[in-house]
Amino acid sequence: MCGIVGYLDKKSDPEYPIGRTLLGMLEALSCRGPDSAGVALFDSPGDWHIRLSGPEGLNSESFIEALRKLGIAVHRHYNNGVYDAVLSKGADVSTLEDQIQLALPDTEVICLGRCLALVKQVGSPEKLEATYEISKRAGSHGIGHTRLSTESRVDLSHSQPFWAHGVPDLATVHNGHITNYHKLRRLYEQQGYRFYTENDSELIGVYLRCCLEHKLPLEDALRASLDDFDGSFSYLAATDDTLAYVRDRYGFKPLMVAETDQFVAIATEEIALRQTLGEDFVVYEPSPGSVGIWHTQQPALVST
Amino acid sequence: MTCSIDCHGKTTREINRAIRQAIAAGEREIRILHPDARHNLGVALLEPVRIVYEGSVGYYCAGMIDGAQVEIRGSAGWGTAESMLNGTVLIDGNAGSGVAASIRGGTVVVRGDAAARAGVSMKGGTLLIGANCGYMAGFMMQKGKIVICGDAGDALADSMYEGIVFVGGKIASLGNDTVVEEPTSEDESWLATLLHQYNLRGPNRFKKVVSGRKLWNFDKKDLEVWRAAL
Repeated sequence: MCGIVGYLDKKSDPEYPIGRTLLGMLEALSCRGPDSAGVALFDSPGDWHIRLSGPEGLNSESFIEALRKLGIAVHRHYNNGVYDAVLSKGADVSTLEDQIQLALPDTEVICLGRCLALVKQVGSPEKLEATYEISKRAGSHGIGHTRLSTESRVDLSHSQPFWAHGVPDLATVHNGHITNYHKLRRLYEQQGYRFYTENDSELIGVYLRCCLEHKLPLEDALRASLDDFDGSFSYLAATDDTLAYVRDRYGFKPLMVAETDQFVAIATEEIALRQTLGEDFVVYEPSPGSVGIWHTQQPALVST
Repeated sequence: MTCSIDCHGKTTREINRAIRQAIAAGEREIRILHPDARHNLGVALLEPVRIVYEGSVGYYCAGMIDGAQVEIRGSAGWGTAESMLNGTVLIDGNAGSGVAASIRGGTVVVRGDAAARAGVSMKGGTLLIGANCGYMAGFMMQKGKIVICGDAGDALADSMYEGIVFVGGKIASLGNDTVVEEPTSEDESWLATLLHQYNLRGPNRFKKVVSGRKLWNFDKKDLEVWRAAL
């Protein structure tokens, strides 16, 4: 199962209550994924920031001090071991994650970027709201996930959305099962890409990162994944200015899309769109094997 | 007399209980307000009542009904009207995958598009689609008729045993063991009556797809293929 949702405000209004909308959509889909919940929200570009999960057993003072030496200034510490920090000017974001791993093994970078705020945790969307107050977050677009684990552990690391490690401001959510995951993972590991979890959905971010590093535009990478991934998948990808869906060639996993002059909204089930956004729009099930891409303040690009 | 049931604030079980209680109390017309694309509404109703959903419904609405007249003033999710025995299901918007799967009788009308696997394994009845449909419509159907006014997706009517599929637009590809025939004058008059009855416009000419009946019996020529496969 699992439920995925996405929303893009076409006016790209940075004050749009994206958190409240995505939370409402996730609550409608919480029965599809009681194990964990998360959202990736996109705001207008600000300072470079990072969210990390500290290693177990290390006290927060030592962790914060170790991060400070790497040019990472923690400004918030949640009681679940998650830290928010800003990066000092001139920090090399391309090597930062390696530096963190070297200095603080078992630290997990949850997200990094100038626009992306990614929060996730074990439990329901309501619990996510209680911890992070996502309903108060504004932004132009975002994606969300409720998880029913079928393959891997139920913990923060294995929850979604996944930030695509190494690519600032790129996040994905996935419903389905990528059956050639192990084969592709070995391939990418041989090329030096690191995997942080045993969740097959993490592969999508690594795949997109690899494509982008080979100078393939994101749109082309999303289309290429239709051929390169086996199994069932409806997944969403979002960047600072993009919201996109990809649906496997058999349409094994449901996906519904609504588009109006004001917004594009995507969800695993129509119930998430109706309960949150009302009745005043048409909903359609995109063709199996199709990719839909929307950019903030630009017309849609849908291909089959 | 019409009775209304508002879904707001009710669980799916409470809505369905309210529908059954209304029918038991003798109501024959029931309006369902704010269905908000919820799943499993009005399944296995065996009475000839009229039920109007004022909005979209989720999965499996009107499945296994026997004789009810169901109107959905919105879109419908996966498996709508699945395995219905008799009755009418009218969907104003689009239908998700597997609409009218395995129906044994009655009529399902989708005014918009139907997604993949529409009318698979039909054992009777009629499925009328006003616009286009996805892949494998009519897969392994055994009886009944499917009418697609627009275009049909890949592998249309793959491995159908019996029944007829009419297509007004383009066929992306035919499924295994299907044959395209010219519609007879009886077919054309049946189509015209059906479209008129449900106020839908179709093209002047339909293609008629029927079973090639080659898969009905084992062919010795295929023995080597089976040996390799097994």
